[in-house]
Amino acid sequence: MSECHVVRESLPLLLAESLDPASRETAHRHIETCAACGEEWLSFKDTWQILGALPAVAVPARARERFLDEVMPRQQAVVVPFHRRPVVRWVAQAAGVVLVAGAAYFTGHRAAPLRLFSQPATVAALRPLVGAQPVYSIAETRVLPATAVSPNIEGRPDIQHVQFVDADPSDGQIGVAFDLTSHVTVTGSPTDKSMVRLLSYVLQNEEKTSPARSQAIDWVRQTYSQPQYANTEIAQALAGILRNEQREGVRIRAVDTLQKLPARVTSNGEVTRDALIDALKNDPNPSVRIKAVEALSKMAGSGQALDAEAVDSLRQKVAQGDENLYVRVKAAEALSKIHQQ
Amino acid sequence: MKHLSDQELMRIVQGGDFSPASEIYDRYSGRIYNFALRFLKSAEAAEDATQEVFVKMIKHANQFQGDAKLSTWLFSITANWCRDYLRKADNKVKESEDVLVTLPAPADQSPDRTLEQRENALRIQRALQELTAEQREAILLSRYQGLSYAEIAQIAGCSEGAVKTRVFRAMETLKKLLSVDARGGDRCLNAMS
Ligand SMILES: [Zn+2]
Repeated sequence: MSECHVVRESLPLLLAESLDPASRETAHRHIETCAACGEEWLSFKDTWQILGALPAVAVPARARERFLDEVMPRQQAVVVPFHRRPVVRWVAQAAGVVLVAGAAYFTGHRAAPLRLFSQPATVAALRPLVGAQPVYSIAETRVLPATAVSPNIEGRPDIQHVQFVDADPSDGQIGVAFDLTSHVTVTGSPTDKSMVRLLSYVLQNEEKTSPARSQAIDWVRQTYSQPQYANTEIAQALAGILRNEQREGVRIRAVDTLQKLPARVTSNGEVTRDALIDALKNDPNPSVRIKAVEALSKMAGSGQALDAEAVDSLRQKVAQGDENLYVRVKAAEALSKIHQQ
Repeated sequence: MKHLSDQELMRIVQGGDFSPASEIYDRYSGRIYNFALRFLKSAEAAEDATQEVFVKMIKHANQFQGDAKLSTWLFSITANWCRDYLRKADNKVKESEDVLVTLPAPADQSPDRTLEQRENALRIQRALQELTAEQREAILLSRYQGLSYAEIAQIAGCSEGAVKTRVFRAMETLKKLLSVDARGGDRCLNAMS
């Protein structure tokens, strides 16, 4: 092959600026000394430039919708507003299937850094195992056992349409269902760390989750007020609401639920106690203060020691002339319980 | 999702979660669509190609090798789709169909300039259709997508040497069709107006 031919074949690479330095040097030297190749170079350069005038065309917007509709079909009737649903059993059964079938898959996966939403345990994927035509009109729905979900929620996933699945009387498993990009239901024991973390997230990130917060609190109370499910993290989530929530009604529910939690939980967590003290001292709504002082009184009554600051706050309340009388009485009651010990 | 690499997004998809689909689509649909449009000279076919390439990317995500470049894989699927399309008898590139006629004109541009640009674009598009499919694929990937010959070879299923020859031959043909001499008439016309 002549040098001219070699150089000419390299001209497009030279134009694309992807020739290695040595070959580039050789090509340029040749072009400068060989008139025919020099001319070819100029016309290639011209052509290359002309080609660049072909404008890129925008992809039609409908193409994007069409694609997303095909790969991520919208949820249908699966998502219902928060209320207790007759389909609870049905979801729980499907979850059971997943649990059984998924067990082998998830064995040993728990330690991996899981995303809440990146688990492959889709019901669709399990279809062959459970037959062609069962309950699974929830094909777009995935049911994940909480044990397969990392307790570390990454980032702040934008979860929507949260629903709660009541405890299954047979095994006590509860569930939280929500839309992420597909509809996800996480099921598990109320004591499962991932379940607790998820509930705590739902409770505290209202702008990211859509059920009414009060309803979420009520649902959480049903389970976590039972002594066997005492849980500090849930208490802390409620304390967070008590501190940060703007709406009085929701704060009342949060503090009321805190008060109903098993006493050892609320008194164990300093966060909870501090939130109650702060509410007692500063909340503008007397009902919130009443519930807060009741909760503190309950803590004192359960034999848990309150720290000096808590005791001080209660004393100030008793002495505060313009405070609601009931609050003052309850504060005094709490103090007397402490002193009796 | 925006901060995740292509490979990270694909790993999520491979795990059964399709939520990165829109992000990947936004990253590559423009390139895929324009490649198919220039290859097939049909807006309708380009739209179908784009759809099917991305659906395949999701449904066959496990075929993607984690260490590969996603763009190379996507262009492989696209090029395959386009070749299949052309192989079907009815889908020979139609002479009459000029997809670029509908290009919107920038508002701040004179009608003459707009017309000239459209004519240029049409001329380029027609010239590209004079190439063999192999040459067209190679020059489109090189000139418009900036892919290396190694990547193009992988997509086309041929050697780098073959890519080199295809691009060179394509340039030879395009040079004849698009050179200043070939456009001489237009230039004079424009100069006179
Ligand atoms: Zn020469």
